[in-house]
Amino acid sequence: MEIAAIFLPILGSFIAGFFGRFIGDRGAQAVTCLGVCVSALLSIALFFDVALGGHARVIPLMTWIDSGDLKLDWAIKIDTLTSVMLIVVTVVSSMVHIYSVGYMSHDRSKQRFMAYLSLFTFMMLMLVTADNLVQMFFGWEGVGVASYLLIGFWYEKQSASGAAIKAFLVNRVGDFGFVLGIGLVFFLFGTVNFDVLFEKAPEMTELTYNFLGFQVNALTCACLLLFVGAMGKSAQLLLHTWLPDAMEGPTPVSALIHAATMVTAGVFMTARLSPLFEYAPDALAFVTVIGSLTALVAATIGMTQFDIKRVIAYSTMSQLGYMFFAAGVSAYSAAVFHLMTHAFFKALLFLGAGSVIHAMSDEQDMRKMGGIWRFIPVTYVMMWIGSLALAGVGIPGLFGFAGFYSKDLILEAAWGAHSGVGEFAYWMGVIAAFITAFYSWRLIIMTFHGKPRADHHTMEHVHESPLVMTLPLGVLAIGAAFAGFIGEEWFAGEEREHFWGEAIKVLSTHDSIAAAHHVELWVKMLPLVAAFSGIFFGYLFYMIKPDLPGKFVAAVRPLHQLFFRKYYFDEIYDAVFVKNAFRLGSFFWKRGDEQTIDAFGPDGVAAVTGKLAGLAGKLQTGYLYHYAFAMVIGLAAFVTWFWIGL
Amino acid sequence: MTALPDFAPAIPEIVLAVASLALLLVGAFKGDGSTRLVSWLGTAALAVVLVLVWANTGDKALTFGGMFIADRFASFAKCLILIASGITLVISQDYLKLERMDRPEYAVLVLLATLGMLMLVSANDLMSLYLGLELMSLSLYVVAAFRRDAVKSSEAGLKYFVLGALGSGLYLYGASLVYGFTGTTSFTQIATTVGNGPSIGLIAGLVFVMASLAFKVSAVPFHMWTPDVYEGAPTSVTAFFAVAPKIAALCLMVRVLVGPFGPLVDQWQQVVVFISLASMILGSFAAVVQKNIKRLLAYSSIGHVGFALVGLASGTEEGVRGVLAYLAIYLFMNLGTFACVLAMKAGGRMVEDIKDLSGLSRTNPLMALCLAAFMFSMAGVPPLAGFFGKLYVFMAAVHAGLYALSIIGVLASVVAAYYYLRVVKIMYFDEPAEAFDRGQSGVIRFVMAASAVIIAIVIPLALQPMTHAAQAAAATLFLG
Amino acid sequence: MIIQALAFYLFAAVTVLSGAMVITARNPVHSVLFLVLAFFSAAGLFLLIGAEFVAMILVIVYVGAVAVLFLFVVMMLDIDFAELRTGLLRYAPIGALVGIVLLIELVVALVSWKGASEATANLAVPTPPASTTQNAVAIGELIYTHYAYLFQAAGLVLLVAMIGAIALTLRQRPGVRRQKIANQNAVQPADVAEVRKVASRGGI
Repeated sequence: MEIAAIFLPILGSFIAGFFGRFIGDRGAQAVTCLGVCVSALLSIALFFDVALGGHARVIPLMTWIDSGDLKLDWAIKIDTLTSVMLIVVTVVSSMVHIYSVGYMSHDRSKQRFMAYLSLFTFMMLMLVTADNLVQMFFGWEGVGVASYLLIGFWYEKQSASGAAIKAFLVNRVGDFGFVLGIGLVFFLFGTVNFDVLFEKAPEMTELTYNFLGFQVNALTCACLLLFVGAMGKSAQLLLHTWLPDAMEGPTPVSALIHAATMVTAGVFMTARLSPLFEYAPDALAFVTVIGSLTALVAATIGMTQFDIKRVIAYSTMSQLGYMFFAAGVSAYSAAVFHLMTHAFFKALLFLGAGSVIHAMSDEQDMRKMGGIWRFIPVTYVMMWIGSLALAGVGIPGLFGFAGFYSKDLILEAAWGAHSGVGEFAYWMGVIAAFITAFYSWRLIIMTFHGKPRADHHTMEHVHESPLVMTLPLGVLAIGAAFAGFIGEEWFAGEEREHFWGEAIKVLSTHDSIAAAHHVELWVKMLPLVAAFSGIFFGYLFYMIKPDLPGKFVAAVRPLHQLFFRKYYFDEIYDAVFVKNAFRLGSFFWKRGDEQTIDAFGPDGVAAVTGKLAGLAGKLQTGYLYHYAFAMVIGLAAFVTWFWIGL
Repeated sequence: MTALPDFAPAIPEIVLAVASLALLLVGAFKGDGSTRLVSWLGTAALAVVLVLVWANTGDKALTFGGMFIADRFASFAKCLILIASGITLVISQDYLKLERMDRPEYAVLVLLATLGMLMLVSANDLMSLYLGLELMSLSLYVVAAFRRDAVKSSEAGLKYFVLGALGSGLYLYGASLVYGFTGTTSFTQIATTVGNGPSIGLIAGLVFVMASLAFKVSAVPFHMWTPDVYEGAPTSVTAFFAVAPKIAALCLMVRVLVGPFGPLVDQWQQVVVFISLASMILGSFAAVVQKNIKRLLAYSSIGHVGFALVGLASGTEEGVRGVLAYLAIYLFMNLGTFACVLAMKAGGRMVEDIKDLSGLSRTNPLMALCLAAFMFSMAGVPPLAGFFGKLYVFMAAVHAGLYALSIIGVLASVVAAYYYLRVVKIMYFDEPAEAFDRGQSGVIRFVMAASAVIIAIVIPLALQPMTHAAQAAAATLFLG
Repeated sequence: MIIQALAFYLFAAVTVLSGAMVITARNPVHSVLFLVLAFFSAAGLFLLIGAEFVAMILVIVYVGAVAVLFLFVVMMLDIDFAELRTGLLRYAPIGALVGIVLLIELVVALVSWKGASEATANLAVPTPPASTTQNAVAIGELIYTHYAYLFQAAGLVLLVAMIGAIALTLRQRPGVRRQKIANQNAVQPADVAEVRKVASRGGI
């Protein structure tokens, strides 16, 4: 069952990718959708068995590497954490697959798209079911490749292909850290197998090693390096610049990869490695700070953007920040909880945005939308549900949308950690929550309300999306509405220890989830207040007094510029890294390679080889007695050789 | 009255001898029209003998007064030789007809040469070795000159003959020195005798014997005949030359050096190392400038012999295993390649320039694909079989501490890769030359495709059985 | 004994000298004649060691058949050997050098010759005692029993030589009339001769 759940997507991808020509568009869509949907059903069954039944297990498939001390298996490790991820990945993926049938209906290479999507799903499943760091890295890179392929899916478009390369390169920086981390872990522990690793972790806390003359705590260092990998994949501050650009890919891709699954791989990794991180408090503090800064910075940028997908992308980044600082204060279960709820409502928002874009004849700029809610009521409702979930709206003690439970839990845990960074994170999170609610309603109002700003021609064509697109929206909306309500008890409530089992480890002194239930009332209420006031200001600025934004921006122009230009990260990186890298590369290419290495290396060797070959050819005169002579001389030489040798 | 010798170990050879005599009679009575019949019957005979060898494989058995040995090593080598001979016989039929040399003696001579090879690898005595060598060589001289109307073919035959006579002379001289020192020609006794310490005369004899064997495997510096003979001889004969006699002579060399002269490993090792190095280097460099595909393959075979000798140079069981595995892989690579060369027919006649292959990928994609597979395999590109052959011999050399040999060998294979890949480049990236004639015989196409499949899929997947067989064969030489 | 020694040195010297003359004589016919002389003296050497059968075979087969055949071939071919030799001197110095080096090495090897201790014992194994067996019988016993395998193999080698000679040289030329003995034997008088009554004093 586990094997089927994981390998059905790659089977579908294989069939659609290599035999797409024979089975046609319909066939490719059918086979990939079927594969992923069956996989999703199996995942749900697995969830009941593993998470609720408590049957965590490792299924070895085959030996991968057996070289010296390094022994690796291909194996499927399924515990609660994995099974939660399995559900998230396969359910969202299957919805996106189905949605894509409608969304990509005008595209020429449907088989390729479906094959990539399924390939991505498989790689993601490999990542979450890995039982060692290297297999995880395999999936990690695999999703990177799939992401690259999908961002650059419309490769004729210059910007798409540039964005794909950017995503890949920025991720490489993170991956480099990840690889170093794996190397360091292997060096310290002599294994990369999770189970063995976690057993040994407590003994390693005091271990230090000498790095460039500094005594560093080895475990902290390893965790930091691994976290650099997570920063790259999950678009945390400093390594986040690729995510907004990645919106060049088709919208279903943004929903699947850049909202629900791949970008959360970093969070998953941190949770998976919780037994390591728990013993590296300094690394955890770093994670908290980076996460909370990301949450705020991304929210402020999102507030100023006009591209509907970019707004949601920055929102994603901000929410990822929440997850990380949750992990940073040892509230891993809260992080994973938010990961799950976020996957549903963010995929919903993206697919909804896709539906809007579809309706608006591929227009993405919100300044050219407005006043279309009557024409696409289903999408409108869906976007509302998604936004309510994102903003974390709910009535305490009764019912709330998904984000209400998970986000509030994170903030309470941050406060409950009773540490400096925890409180810092709490305040950052509350401000970000306010901004989140604000830009969510800015998005809804700019897109759906007000006077139509699109041209006449586009407005005529505004139409509700077909059922094949709205149905997945509906399924995700159910998730966005109820996932928090249903999951709270398991993820964060009384049952959580039984639920998680061995999957997540929290030292008793770090148990911030328990502390979260005992924080002061105002700590609990403040996020809700922030959300409601964000919504209120959204209405005020864009519905009630539409001239207010302009005035406000004018009042704080420098700040707005900073936000609008995304803190100038791209410009700085371009000036510092990209330009210099090009200059250096050009130097190595012209001077180093062509004039030095090539001249003395390949080209020189080739020339000498040619000469030697000519010489060897000349030896072959064709005269019989030359040949005989050569034989006799050779013989005499050998005999003489022995003569001298003896 | 002495009792009759035990014929059982030699049954395959006896059957082959009788079959070739019978076919000679068939050919003589039915005339030139029976060529095809004799060819097929000859192939059938080789197949039967192959089965017999297979069935006869077992523990060591001596017969004919200890002059003939049948063991797993011999069986392994014989299987390779019989496959090579049988397939070359089959794929040369059309060529023989086209070049008007379709006379039944051809098949008979191939059969007799094969018989000579079988006797060679089963030789356990300096005399039986010599007679096997002569039986093989004499048949080869004749088939090299078999296209008697062509000057090149006669020249090739004559060159080979004269130099071969010189080689035989060297062998006899060396053998007589060895005999003089040990007082015996039997390998078994030589082994026990030379163990007590070498003398200069014995070493000189050993060098002479090695020189003649090196001549037969065309190792540098006794290789000079190879390119001329390969180019001049009819292509079908070249195909035969390149595989079966090479395998036989190399196996013989292994048996002689590891068996009777095993105690002198310190002495012959340096010579083998030198020969191997020189062959690898020359084979790689000289081939670079060749324009004729047969000459190219001649140098390639010199290089391959060098690589195979790397295994022998290590002087260990692992090394011998490497040599055998290398030869098995070499067999299929070369048969396939020559099947392609035999299919190079344009405008009703054979062509053999490398540039005639230009753009083959467009005019004949199947053949181009097969040939590319062979070239990649010969260059030692994983995961094709040729890579594993090289891997085994170099691994053995490294384990035996021959680091310099391994390193230079790997570098030589890099140079060699250049000209193999050049063929691929010409086939795939150059403008198409005149397309080859359609309607190559099904047999040639089958051999081409089957060899390619074996090289690219079967051997890489079934390495284990092959190395096990080679291991078992190698082990028999070291048991004593 | 003295005579035997003298005879040995005489034959040996003649063998070596005529061998040298075979390759140095200017006239090819002379070369073949020197070859015949070398065979004769070798036969003499065999006689001296009591191998009269081998000696006689040498004279009959090599002198009587092979050498005479050579002589015919050489006389029938019009080859200017002097011309063939012209290039040879160019390489004489280096050839001589290699030859001399090899020669010295081999001579020293022979001078310092030391057979293995088992050599004598090994040598004795296959040979029947010379005192009781005639050497024709001894040869027969060896090659038809102990060396039967080699004997058969040698037969195959000769067969290949024959096949080769025929395959490479025999060709059917059109217009050449061949003698067919079977046909000749099968001829009936009636086929070739016609009996006519001829009238006296009248032509046909």
